[in-house]
Amino acid sequence: MPVPLYGFLQGDTVGLLILAEDGDTLEALAQKLQAAASLRVAARHPVRVVYNDKIMAPSMTVAQAGFEALDRFDVLSG
Amino acid sequence: MLNREEWLPLARKLDWDYSYVREDEVFPEVISGRPWLPHSEWKDWEESFKTSYREYVDNQYEKDMAVQAVHDAVGRIENVQKLALPWLNSLKVHAAALPLAEFTGVIGNLRGARFGRDSAWRTMATFGALDEYRHTQIPLLLFHPLLRLDSQFDWAHKFYHTNNWFAVAARHFFDELTVGQNAIEFHIATNVVLETGFTNLQFVGLASLARESSDHMFERMVTSIQTDEARHAQIGHPVLATVMKHDPKYAQYLVDKWFWRNWRLFSILTGLSIDYLTALDQRPYSFKEFMEEWIIDQFLRTLDEFGLEKPWYWDLLMDELDIYHHMIYASAYSYRATLWFNFVIPGPSERKWLRHKYPKYWDEMDAVWEQISERWRTVGPGPANELAVHGTALPTFCDLCQLPLSAGTPRKNTARVLVHDGRKYIFCSEPCQWIFLHEPERYASHTDIVKRVLSGEAPAQLPNLLTEYFNLTPDTWGKDVHGGDYEWLRAPKDSAA
Repeated sequence: MPVPLYGFLQGDTVGLLILAEDGDTLEALAQKLQAAASLRVAARHPVRVVYNDKIMAPSMTVAQAGFEALDRFDVLSG
Repeated sequence: MLNREEWLPLARKLDWDYSYVREDEVFPEVISGRPWLPHSEWKDWEESFKTSYREYVDNQYEKDMAVQAVHDAVGRIENVQKLALPWLNSLKVHAAALPLAEFTGVIGNLRGARFGRDSAWRTMATFGALDEYRHTQIPLLLFHPLLRLDSQFDWAHKFYHTNNWFAVAARHFFDELTVGQNAIEFHIATNVVLETGFTNLQFVGLASLARESSDHMFERMVTSIQTDEARHAQIGHPVLATVMKHDPKYAQYLVDKWFWRNWRLFSILTGLSIDYLTALDQRPYSFKEFMEEWIIDQFLRTLDEFGLEKPWYWDLLMDELDIYHHMIYASAYSYRATLWFNFVIPGPSERKWLRHKYPKYWDEMDAVWEQISERWRTVGPGPANELAVHGTALPTFCDLCQLPLSAGTPRKNTARVLVHDGRKYIFCSEPCQWIFLHEPERYASHTDIVKRVLSGEAPAQLPNLLTEYFNLTPDTWGKDVHGGDYEWLRAPKDSAA
């Protein structure tokens, strides 16, 4: 079941709706957001996923991280 | 026979005591507004510029003839064809956003004409309604015939009847401001904040921009409208003075709320027109300079006049002058097919000017334009490549202003999630969330574009969303004005920068 999330990529001008899968790793989630924003923001590596003000482990899945529909996450450089 | 000076006060002040009904039944609080006060508290209501119906009609007739004369002289399609393409698209923005918004002003003024608390107020609101009807008809008369030149001008009539995302945002604003509003809040929000604070001066600025762009028809139109605004905007001042006397906290709330709501919409309409859709050599000032010189100074004087404080979000608003409309424009450019007008990429000389005018955050914005330009370089110019230089994921929207979540800076977007009564909301900024939390019953059930997509009300696939829900077609949806074919993009990268 896809989980709709508000994704904010550092460097971008607008938040995007990202449909995540429960089993997506946060690394894959960050790649989805970077791909969706690639018209405006060049891909950067490495990046960090921030959720509820915490930096999350990239290997963690969306389900393990506790993401719920319409939550916000951020992808930051470095 | 009475002369004017004897007759006018008699005609304006025509209140009486009710014997068959109570005053609060004639003027219920729910529609007259709060604080509910007996007429004795309103009886000294005075407008500063007094007019009679006959004088009003004579003046308006002369103004209409002047507009018609300019239209006949320079409003033909061949005149409009000579305008710079970016400016023509600024016209399309205003052609859509203005006329039917003004029509909602007719409704709001008619509410004041019936439920205003003093007869002189009701008389002035009647003139205000006639004004707003004129402000509906003139732009429709001038703009809709341009449909023969460009099918995007169809949106002069169509815009508010669609579920286009910008129409949803504008309707959310005007429905609350005018259509579903009580008389007191309507006159404070519309006359004091929108008209005195924004449009009265904004129209002066727009007329100046139009003159610089050799668009004399638009210049005459907004000048003619502005003269009405300057007169009927005075209705709100004695209303605010009375509310301030009896409930200053509520007066402050109304001013704070409506200044923010107005800022959101007008920073987009005017900010984009000045800083992007006016040719560089025809820009008399930057949007920020316009705001500081015309809007902010005037607003602060109005606050002083009434003994009001600056809104609590003042520092945030001052910071937004440097960035908000830039965030919106870059986002809108990359989703231009979701709108009904065309866009232009700021080239090297425009970006140099923008950096000079907006040094605080321009580095972050410049990186975005460099990336978009790079995409055009990669795919090459031409209409066939438009959608290759376009966003694909669904952009997201604020649950209060309904505009894209584009507040803050590229480095740090200020969107915030709130759970209220078990439902999740997202707001672009702290002031939008603050307004929501003051009156959640007013806003909570409205759904933004994202929620409509997720519920299945609107299609999820972008092409279907554009055609089936936003009422656009490949002919009318927004494109790059030059199809990505810019001389500076063809030049080697180093020489263009």
